[in-house]
Amino acid sequence: MEPITGRALILAASAIGAGLAMIAGIGPGIGQGYAAGKGAEGVGRQPEAQGDIVRTMLLGAAVAETTGIYGLIIALILLFANPLVGLL
Amino acid sequence: MGLTRDLQIKVAKWVLIVDFILIIASLIFFNDPIGWILGLVFGGLIGILNFMELGRTLETAVTMNPRRAQAYAASKYFLRYIITGIVILISLKANYINALGTVIGLLLVKFVIISTNLFNDMEFFKNIFRRKEED
Repeated sequence: MEPITGRALILAASAIGAGLAMIAGIGPGIGQGYAAGKGAEGVGRQPEAQGDIVRTMLLGAAVAETTGIYGLIIALILLFANPLVGLL
Repeated sequence: MGLTRDLQIKVAKWVLIVDFILIIASLIFFNDPIGWILGLVFGGLIGILNFMELGRTLETAVTMNPRRAQAYAASKYFLRYIITGIVILISLKANYINALGTVIGLLLVKFVIISTNLFNDMEFFKNIFRRKEED
């Protein structure tokens, strides 16, 4: 059996790290869905406030969505432009 | 784009202005600014398109029943997430686009919203330093 090289170890750890970073993408999806559901409830209860509800929800959802992008960036960098391999 | 049209146009306009300022700054401070400019433009435009798609999704979602709205918004979010992933992947793979520029362009929408809609009230900052006993 071949010994594990430093490069292989870094690549394996990076793949695991990328997988863990992708967990960050699930949260905003659940949160956005929950907010949309509550927004629909709110519009059903008070139809005249639909514009205000959608505008406020849009701002909140857009800010929340970027949190998922952070995790995605980390994962993609670890997979496709790994800076750690160059340190060997 | 009916209910949130004005808001979408306002945010898009601000993103383009900040994008333009960053492009000018990259022309001044970097030796090879083409990659940065391409990244900023690419990321900024995809960020604006994502924001508009989010607006359309939410406008449709609030007219549905809550349970369907929840599933609809979450599924559309993952669609946008995949698009963002493809954009970042392209910028990482293509040598002529700077990936950092693309990431900054994608996140500009957040900074614009935070600076123009949430922290634009001076009373908020004054209240931080106001003592509660004075009220």
